[in-house]
Amino acid sequence: MLAAEGLVKRYGDRRALDGFSLSVAEGEICGLIGHNGAGKTTFVEVVTGLVRADAGAVTVDGVPPRQARDRIGLAPQELSLYLSASLRQNLRLFGGLAGLRGRALRTAIDDTATHLLLTDCLDRPVGLLSGGQRRRAQAATALLHRPRLLLLDEPTVGADPETRAALLDLIKRTAADGTAVLYTTHYLPELVELGASLALCAAGRVIARGDQERLLAGLPGHLDVTHADGRVEQITTPDPTAALARLLADGVRPSAVDIRPATLDDLYRSLAATTR
Amino acid sequence: MNASIVLIRHNFALLLGEPGPVLSRIGMPLVLITALRPLYSAALGSAGLIQAVTGMLVLFSMLGLSIIAGGILTERSWHTLDRLRATPARPVHILVGKAVPFGAVLLAQQAAIVAYAMIAFGLRAPRPDLLLVAGVSWALTLLCAGAALATVVRSHGELSAVNDLGGMFFTVLGGAMVPLALLPGWLRAAAPASPGYWALHGLGSALAGDPAGTFRDAAVLLAVAAALGVFAAWRIARGWGRNRLL
Repeated sequence: MLAAEGLVKRYGDRRALDGFSLSVAEGEICGLIGHNGAGKTTFVEVVTGLVRADAGAVTVDGVPPRQARDRIGLAPQELSLYLSASLRQNLRLFGGLAGLRGRALRTAIDDTATHLLLTDCLDRPVGLLSGGQRRRAQAATALLHRPRLLLLDEPTVGADPETRAALLDLIKRTAADGTAVLYTTHYLPELVELGASLALCAAGRVIARGDQERLLAGLPGHLDVTHADGRVEQITTPDPTAALARLLADGVRPSAVDIRPATLDDLYRSLAATTR
Repeated sequence: MNASIVLIRHNFALLLGEPGPVLSRIGMPLVLITALRPLYSAALGSAGLIQAVTGMLVLFSMLGLSIIAGGILTERSWHTLDRLRATPARPVHILVGKAVPFGAVLLAQQAAIVAYAMIAFGLRAPRPDLLLVAGVSWALTLLCAGAALATVVRSHGELSAVNDLGGMFFTVLGGAMVPLALLPGWLRAAAPASPGYWALHGLGSALAGDPAGTFRDAAVLLAVAAALGVFAAWRIARGWGRNRLL
């Protein structure tokens, strides 16, 4: 659905994208993670056609992004809604621009508002909504027309747990219907909850790509050993179970043991260590 | 329903949601025409009424430019302009979507001023068609100027300063407040540099039933409008990237 190959985007001397390649299939949720300035938002801007890449190619549903805008749903990082207009007016505008009209538009507005717990807010000015409601409203404008490609750039920043849960639930359902989802975030547990594949980006390119299990497989896990005197020993090792066996064989008798496999946080930290 | 119609409807709704600025710019010139007409008549005789009407029309329509520029600048600060650029709407749709409601406001303002002067003071307009040509060409110029201005300023404060100073400067230079005949010679020589000059002339020619003068002045205004419109469309199509507003 989304295919980008060798994208380069320069801002002066800085390369925001430097050979960025990424594909996202129908029905896949791809979590795009990386430091601030790694190129995530620039990539989203290129995919939406807001920014033109200096080199490389990107297609959405087999055509250039500018020809596929009616098939793209975008929730940018920054809130971008008409604050003096009601939520219904905002949804009517973005739905209408995506080609929805009449009964189909009204139904889409009602359905999306229901899924995102926004029904009571439809006729209130967006400027009077709470932060969480605005976040959901922004997502609603992206999801309204059932896009083939959904681009969500840090959609849950500042969102409360209820907002986050409603959003993640709808994203999973949208992907289940065949929509490709590109999801940038710094909240890694969300990617676990979404069952997302991962694309780790740094310095304007994707440096690792795959499902969570595969990417985590090469990372060390953690072994916390609490000794009888209360001292806690923290061991990071590729095989915590084997390390524990060695300790026991050496005569160590811990009062408690905690074995933890590598997490996305570890993956992110290892990325930070290797790319900063 | 194409993108322009969706945007026109949306922008009309936004305007109607905050009618205060529009109503004040339609109501105030009527008050000032009433108050200043005796002054202009004393200075210019029978031409005083036309000077009062066309002068106030040009002055307040130039001040109305802030509604247009402010509307577009607000979209920049809300990030909705970039959001619109990511939809199937093309830059020309976005501009038309903004221009039609604002153009309607400008034409309503002109119609209200002329109608009031006709009813209250007996202003005569022998060729309404010429008045329409002059009014539409001036409205298009203001629309394009407002759009262009909104794409280059970086805050509402900056817009307010540029609009107030620029509006007053070009209004005075064009002869809308003080009749050209009473301006110093060097200022009279510079007057054609102001679009207000051509608007004032065009409206005066239309009220006098002079087709040649009306069309010449309209052509100048449309050329200015085209240049500003092309600039605004280019600026909107290019976007602002990471250059944030103040």
